[in-house]
Amino acid sequence: MIAYALRRLGYGAVVLVLVTVIVFVIMRLVPGDAVSLQLQEVGASKEEADALRAEFGLDAPVWVQLWNWLGGVVQGDLGTSFYSREPVVDLFLARVPVTIQLGLLAILVGSLLGLTIGVVAAVTRGSAVDGTLRLIAVAFLSVPNFVVALLTLTALAIWFAWSPPLVYAGPTEDFASWAQQVAIPVLALGTGGMAAVARLTRSSMLESLGSDYIRTVRAKGVREKTVVLKHALRNSTIAVLTLLGLELATILGGTVIIEQMFGLPGTGQLIYQAVLDRDYPVVVACTIFYAALFVIMIIVIDLLYALVDPRIRHGRALS
Amino acid sequence: MTQENLLTDTQPAAPPRPACAPAEAPRPPRRSTVRRVVRGVRDFVRAQPLGATALVLICLFVLIAILAPVVAPYDPIVQHRRNILEPPSAEFLLGTDDLGRDVLSRAIHGARTSLVIGVMTTLISLALGTAIGVVSGYFGRGLDIVIQRVMDAVQAIPGIVLLLFIAVVLGPSVRNTIIALTVVITPSFNRIARAETLRVRQEPYVEAARATGAGAPRILTRHILPNMIASVFTLGSLIFAGVIIAESALSFLGIGAPPPTPSWGLMLSEGVRYVERAPWLIVVPAIALSIAVFSFNLLGDALRDHLDPRVQRLVVQERRGWWGRRLISRLAPSLAQGAERLESTDTRTGGTGRVPDPPR
Repeated sequence: MIAYALRRLGYGAVVLVLVTVIVFVIMRLVPGDAVSLQLQEVGASKEEADALRAEFGLDAPVWVQLWNWLGGVVQGDLGTSFYSREPVVDLFLARVPVTIQLGLLAILVGSLLGLTIGVVAAVTRGSAVDGTLRLIAVAFLSVPNFVVALLTLTALAIWFAWSPPLVYAGPTEDFASWAQQVAIPVLALGTGGMAAVARLTRSSMLESLGSDYIRTVRAKGVREKTVVLKHALRNSTIAVLTLLGLELATILGGTVIIEQMFGLPGTGQLIYQAVLDRDYPVVVACTIFYAALFVIMIIVIDLLYALVDPRIRHGRALS
Repeated sequence: MTQENLLTDTQPAAPPRPACAPAEAPRPPRRSTVRRVVRGVRDFVRAQPLGATALVLICLFVLIAILAPVVAPYDPIVQHRRNILEPPSAEFLLGTDDLGRDVLSRAIHGARTSLVIGVMTTLISLALGTAIGVVSGYFGRGLDIVIQRVMDAVQAIPGIVLLLFIAVVLGPSVRNTIIALTVVITPSFNRIARAETLRVRQEPYVEAARATGAGAPRILTRHILPNMIASVFTLGSLIFAGVIIAESALSFLGIGAPPPTPSWGLMLSEGVRYVERAPWLIVVPAIALSIAVFSFNLLGDALRDHLDPRVQRLVVQERRGWWGRRLISRLAPSLAQGAERLESTDTRTGGTGRVPDPPR
């Protein structure tokens, strides 16, 4: 088990190094760097520009820059922002909580709503309720999350003349304001996951409900509510766990637009601004952070998954 | 059965025989291909009513996009300065925006922008990804390892981050949007093409071809490609929907098509400021975008169901992975196995509805 985990981690590290190389290559392939962009407005001389480049290490060949950067990572130094001159690590850590909050809340909302819809649809299979719920699920799978957010915003603005507060306040500073601001983003991010979870729950519930062990439970005289919620649903949760694991990376990637739209100071906003400013150290660090998060999360979920489901142990094929 | 075939079957004219080859032995008549396509479409429509509905919607979408200048009541970038932020009326059916431009005309031309970017991106990345995947899968060894590691790395970056990065680095334009999207999507096609090639490569007929002395180019183009292309095209239909979303996301962020271009994403971002005064600025492009994506998803699902089950499973797996989750099977094999099992369950429900009777 440990060797297995280590092998996955090693492979993940190789992938991350490759990601870094790709990011560096794309970035240096294009004309115009941060320095010339920054100095265009000021109208600085060529000497000043060269001095700045030397300060940021931009005058060295790409490969040297890449090597220096990787060397820095090992020492916990991800570079310094071209603009604010702050260490990227600090900028980043200041913004991580918002993104994590959003991601986790979205997952929570998505899975709760999705499970409910899925169970109700499975139990009322074939009825109008089932049809409506299924249609809702398919619709939410197709509407992109930023469109969901925009439509919600529009509806609330028209019908209730309500719009979220403009300035972000952390949940510990001003909980009411925070809740108002985060509500729509969380719903918008959660609905995509909700639809996927609902569909999966429904189909795996139907499968469970038709299986032999459920027939046995029913024959034993257990109440229908217990049959559904305890016996059938429990068997479906592993399915949902898998899906959520796969969904998490998408949600974290999807926060870029939502954070930008609602003025939430998370990592998505950071990377968006940095990309616009060509703030290379920040862009590189953020991109690689997202990739690393993805890789690590997938490995962790994989190990958890193998622990949770005794049928899935390594080296043994699923039937 | 390809999406292209499905879409173009309304022109059943057989391609003209080359005029310069009179002495050749008579070829089998080309009409049989057309007939086969027509029959394929008919079977598909009968077996998949939802898919057929989607097909009709898509044809409508394509027609509107092509005929945009004819269908649209106004020029999408002409500013009617006297009619700013006007609600829907007889003169402007869906109202006007903050610069007095007709929203209906912009939405119609927006379909064109989406279609151009969607078609170009899907075709280029399909061709590129398939070529890379087939070569990588067929020749294997070191080449395969290098190519696949690079593809893995590209996919480890969340799609939107990579898109943002490339699009900004290149600058906002329709062409650059296509390039950025192509970089992000190519690995998905590579993956499925490679998997299918690995399967087909071991078939007896490929062995036979190799035994008769056929070279690699011939085996690849005559034996491997025709036998794996169906799943690639099915994935193409699903990916098309994703491309439309990604395009509008990019232009929403202001780094896709530049401002005067009528694009749904751009319309949405311009409308945000007038949410209370002019909700139609949001609602119209949002509905247009959702219906387009919905139809392509539906068609993709239906095509997937219609093809044979083995293809289904691959496509489902790949579809889950197109937005940057493709590493999963290598990083997390048990997770991937579990997901595959679950998704084959999901596939049996057709994704969109019909659930077979549970076993009793």
